[in-house]
Amino acid sequence: MIIFFVLPLLLTVVWSVFERTMFWMEPAFTLFSYENFFFSSRLENFLSSMFHSSISVVCAFFIGFPIAIFIRRRVRKVAQHRVMLLFILPFMVSEIIRIFALRPILSRNGVVNSFLMDMNLIESPFSIFVFTPTGVIIGEIVSFLPFMIFSTFLALEAIPNYIFEVCADLGVNRRRMFKDMFLPLAAPGLFAGSVFIFVNGIGIALIPTILGGPGSVNAGLIATQAIIALDFPLAMAVSAIMMFTLMGLLYLGHRLFNLTKLLEPIS
Amino acid sequence: MKKNNAIELKNLIKTYGDVYALNDVDLNISDGEYFVLLGPSGGGKTTLLRSIGGFIRPDSGSIVIKGKNVNNLPPDKRPTSMVFQGFALFPHMDVVQNIGYGLKLQSIEKNIIDEKVNKMMDLVGLTGLHNRKPHELSGGQQQRVQLARALILENDVLLLDEPLSALDAQLRKDMCIELKRLQKTVGISFVHVTHNQEEAMSVADRIAIIADGKMIEEGTPQEIYNKPKKQFTAEFLGEKNILIGKVHNLNKSKIILDINNDKIEIANNNYNVSKNQGVSVSIKSESIQIKKNVKPKTNEKNSIFGKVTEITFLGQFVRYLVLLSNDQEIQVRSSEEVANVKLNDQVILNWKLDDFILHNE
Repeated sequence: MIIFFVLPLLLTVVWSVFERTMFWMEPAFTLFSYENFFFSSRLENFLSSMFHSSISVVCAFFIGFPIAIFIRRRVRKVAQHRVMLLFILPFMVSEIIRIFALRPILSRNGVVNSFLMDMNLIESPFSIFVFTPTGVIIGEIVSFLPFMIFSTFLALEAIPNYIFEVCADLGVNRRRMFKDMFLPLAAPGLFAGSVFIFVNGIGIALIPTILGGPGSVNAGLIATQAIIALDFPLAMAVSAIMMFTLMGLLYLGHRLFNLTKLLEPIS
Repeated sequence: MKKNNAIELKNLIKTYGDVYALNDVDLNISDGEYFVLLGPSGGGKTTLLRSIGGFIRPDSGSIVIKGKNVNNLPPDKRPTSMVFQGFALFPHMDVVQNIGYGLKLQSIEKNIIDEKVNKMMDLVGLTGLHNRKPHELSGGQQQRVQLARALILENDVLLLDEPLSALDAQLRKDMCIELKRLQKTVGISFVHVTHNQEEAMSVADRIAIIADGKMIEEGTPQEIYNKPKKQFTAEFLGEKNILIGKVHNLNKSKIILDINNDKIEIANNNYNVSKNQGVSVSIKSESIQIKKNVKPKTNEKNSIFGKVTEITFLGQFVRYLVLLSNDQEIQVRSSEEVANVKLNDQVILNWKLDDFILHNE
């Protein structure tokens, strides 16, 4: 834990205040990298990537959670885990290829646009599907949706069956069922899935590299570009900022929703 | 005055593959009656209860509750509430929320709900535990919450599926007394499923014995315990002394049975049997007197000879195992040790004519 988690984090913070040299860095204390970050378009990019990530989380929730509920409630018990395995299949293909494959699907003359045109639903092809923040969000949803499904399904699986029988006896309708039962009982899973998607949404450089365009640069890509430019302290600073932002968000979430209570085991 | 029937079941059949979970069950349960479905596990009593509640659709037959056929109604549209096996509470809600949830669904004003919840909590003995979560409650308290959650809806029938099976023995006894008291207070019909005969005897106004999907017999606890009509009932209630033989001779007042060439005489309580018919009889082990056989070969008709094979001291009584000449074993319970009866002694067993009960299958 200390060697593989705490130490790298500490080094990230320490290196971020080092001074940049031509090809490496040397010990110093300077906030130049932070200045560089906060007084350039990087801050704006960082904030908008947080915003885009949030949209991905919300979309994954509205698509993934109902799928998990469907599997828990409508699929036979013996088949449930097999259905979950289907969502693992995409991971057998390298992530680069998976995301790259979205290009011909989403591009101006791609599958989606051709379909919409053929159906006479649109007159000219949409160009916002790729090389835009929308493209990045679609990419993130496609990549990370299984994690939302996994984590919420595991939480839903832990709900004892008697809950559904009691609800049948009391006459709980679908809307109530969702609001009063599924949402609170699957909260730990929803939380885990959301954090995972949010963090990867701002941290993984691959998706904006392939599907993004101007205005869709995330923290991961900023750091990657800094490393390519051999500006290691800047890369470290970006990582440190990302880390502290997440900690701050978790703390805020804790103050608002009391995570301890949200995540306490149901027994 | 005959009470109206709260529940009428006719020709209820439910099969799972080739297995009959319910095999042509007829049953009437009166208004305000504490009715217990008693039987071995897997005998169909839970299936029967769940059919009444609407959780299982029977293949055929009719279910009428309060004069209304409910065959095609879902659980929430039936005038029944269910107390489930185990501690089936909403884990994320506190006691008040659990109990009031059913009313909240009916869009009832919050202050009315609160008032009803408080009343109900006092009734079932949960006073002061308002904001506890289920995991902060004892097993007995959790079952009380379930009871309150079901009773607050003021339905005509309360269904209880093994409500006490997860509690320890002492708590179960206490809860039996409370369930009975609660039923008398609210005055609605309770239908209670259990495999525990003590529990059944202590709460029931009437009991039905259910096994292999069939209704074996029904009656008051006294009838079922003292005069079981069927051999199965006697066996299920723990009767060890069951003798199988045939009718040797009979008249209006007495029946003489041939038990492997030993002749015994029992009182004829209007049994519907004929000569040479195969029957089984049972006798409570505490109804038999045991004596040392000092004069062998005296053959009274209400006695039988045997040899003592085991003497066990069990606290409140002493148990003797006696082997009869036909290799059948009889248990005798005596409130105190019988002087001079020792292991391997030849003994003579006596009883009153009335004590033997005949079962005709």
